[in-house]
Amino acid sequence: MTRIYAVDPWVEKPLEAFVAEAGARLALLMTPAGQVIAQYGFTRALDVMAAAALGAAIVASTGEISKLLDEPTFSVLNHQGKRHGILLAGFDTPRGRMVCLVVYGLDSTPGLVQLFFEEFSRDVRDACPEPEAPKQVLAADFERELNESLATLFRT
Amino acid sequence: MSLVNFTTREITCKIVYYGPGRSGKTTNLQYIYDQVPADRRGRMVSLATQTDRTLFFDFLPLDLGTISGFTTKFQLYTVPGQVYYNATRKLVLNGADGVVFVADSQVRQLDENLGSLQNLQVNLLEQRIDVRALPLVFQYNKQGLRRELVLPKEELDDAMNFRGVPSFGADALTGNGVFETLRSVSELVLRKLSEEPSR
Repeated sequence: MTRIYAVDPWVEKPLEAFVAEAGARLALLMTPAGQVIAQYGFTRALDVMAAAALGAAIVASTGEISKLLDEPTFSVLNHQGKRHGILLAGFDTPRGRMVCLVVYGLDSTPGLVQLFFEEFSRDVRDACPEPEAPKQVLAADFERELNESLATLFRT
Repeated sequence: MSLVNFTTREITCKIVYYGPGRSGKTTNLQYIYDQVPADRRGRMVSLATQTDRTLFFDFLPLDLGTISGFTTKFQLYTVPGQVYYNATRKLVLNGADGVVFVADSQVRQLDENLGSLQNLQVNLLEQRIDVRALPLVFQYNKQGLRRELVLPKEELDDAMNFRGVPSFGADALTGNGVFETLRSVSELVLRKLSEEPSR
């Protein structure tokens, strides 16, 4: 069974409902800078990052083209391949803008995915809590662990 | 901006390698990709022209392991250095937690370095980021070339490094200085994260 992975648990339910109803094979929710918020269907965490970076770049570059054309930001992008289609779309939430990359197969259609995407974006907006108060992240003495990690990476 | 997940205790940071065209930004990432064990890095994505010049960006995700109880991941990006691609450069810079400025140490490239550094400041200002507040490291690449062709690190520091941020001489083709640069910017980014509470 393909598991949903989400940074914030409140995203899980809307994403689960969306992939089931839209017949999505893969779905990736991210920030406009390409940071992954939630994903469904990807099996290797680091490839998710590559997909997110590329998806965020497409949305950002088409956003700039819309500015050149003096158009409001394009809300949805659709590309149809022989076996798969992708939908890329952004929406606003109380925690800022989010971008979603959806991959669907021949058993679904762009219209169906878009229809349920609109519902999904509403559900995420409704479920999204207000931003939390800032918290302390790292201990002050993280350098030793950082150096050990980098030494392992570079085999030094 | 770093993404911090307090529930699963994960941190993801974005580091951008900036600098003029052909200064060695992509070479830095390629060296890192070649050195790091396969299970600690993702696929390297390069959006390049037919002549292998960066068109949009190169992207390399790295898994640093656990630091202070957080699984820490870095996303390394390069920008296209050519002046023509400023629009895409701005997009890649968006949300950066730290910047490595890769300068070309060759004497004849000094103006290009200064132009690119100025361009970095303008692009950051457009995103309302004060360059003085952003973790920044200089790497003076191509120090392996013949001595008469390159400026020494001290002179490049004088010309570019007004803030006195960490700087490293490097030869990215052989890997000299690549690791030190990454370690330094990683430390600055995580130091900032430890000093400033996150959401």
